[in-house]
Amino acid sequence: MASRALAQCVRSLARASARLNEGRTACVLLAAAQRPLSSWTCNQRTSRTELLRIPSPSVHLCRHYSDAPPLTLDDIQERVLYVLKLYDKINPDVLKSTSHFMKDLGLDSLDQVEIIMAMEDEFGFEIPDGDGEKLMTPEEIVTYIADKKDVYE
Amino acid sequence: MAVSRLPPAALSLKQFLQRQKVLCLYRDLQRTIRRVPHESDRKYLRDWARDEFRRNKSNTDQDAIRMMISQAHNHLEELRRSLALAGC
Repeated sequence: MASRALAQCVRSLARASARLNEGRTACVLLAAAQRPLSSWTCNQRTSRTELLRIPSPSVHLCRHYSDAPPLTLDDIQERVLYVLKLYDKINPDVLKSTSHFMKDLGLDSLDQVEIIMAMEDEFGFEIPDGDGEKLMTPEEIVTYIADKKDVYE
Repeated sequence: MAVSRLPPAALSLKQFLQRQKVLCLYRDLQRTIRRVPHESDRKYLRDWARDEFRRNKSNTDQDAIRMMISQAHNHLEELRRSLALAGC
C-alpha cells in the first residue's frame, strides 16, 4: 500500500514539472512573437547588472584633460621666426632674431601691422593696438608673447 | 641760432595723427576681414585692402588723405554691416 502511494506521488510530481516547463517555453515564445524589444531590454538590463557587479575596490577613476603643450622661449622664438619666414616680403636669409623690421628688413608700418596680425593668428590671442605698434624686432615679439603667456625659461 | 632741433624728415602733429588714424583703420580692416567665413573671400579682401593702402602710400595731400580715410571708414562699416546681417 505504501509503495503504491509513493509511486503515485512521484508520477504526479513528474507530470507537474513537465507542465511547468511547457508553460515557460510557451510564455517565452509569446513574448518573442509579440514584443521584439522586450528581449533587447532584458539583454540591456543584464548588461547593466553585469556592469554594476564590478567590485568597487578594483574600479580606478581617472580623468584626461587636454591642453596645449607647454611653451618655452625656444619654442616661441622658433614659431615667431617661422611665421616671419613665411611672410612674402621678408628675405629668409637676412632674417635674424635682432633684425629691425624697418631698418634691416625694409618693411613699412602696414607690413608691421600685418606681421602683428599673423602673430595673433599663430599664438591665438589678441595683441592690443598700443602694444602692437611698439614691437619692431622678432626678439621684442618673443619677449612680449612670453610675458603674456607667463613663460620664464 | 634759431635752427630747429627736429630732424628734417619728422612729421608734423597733423601728419602724425593722420598716420596713426590710417594704421588703426588698416588694423581694424584686417580684424574685420578675419571674420569672413570663406578663405578665398578672405584672401581676396586682404589683398584688396593691401593694394589700396599701398597704392596711396606716397600721397601727401592732407585733404586727399582725409577723404580717403573717410572712404575707407565707409567701406569698413559696410563690411561690418554685411557680416552682421550674415550672422558671422
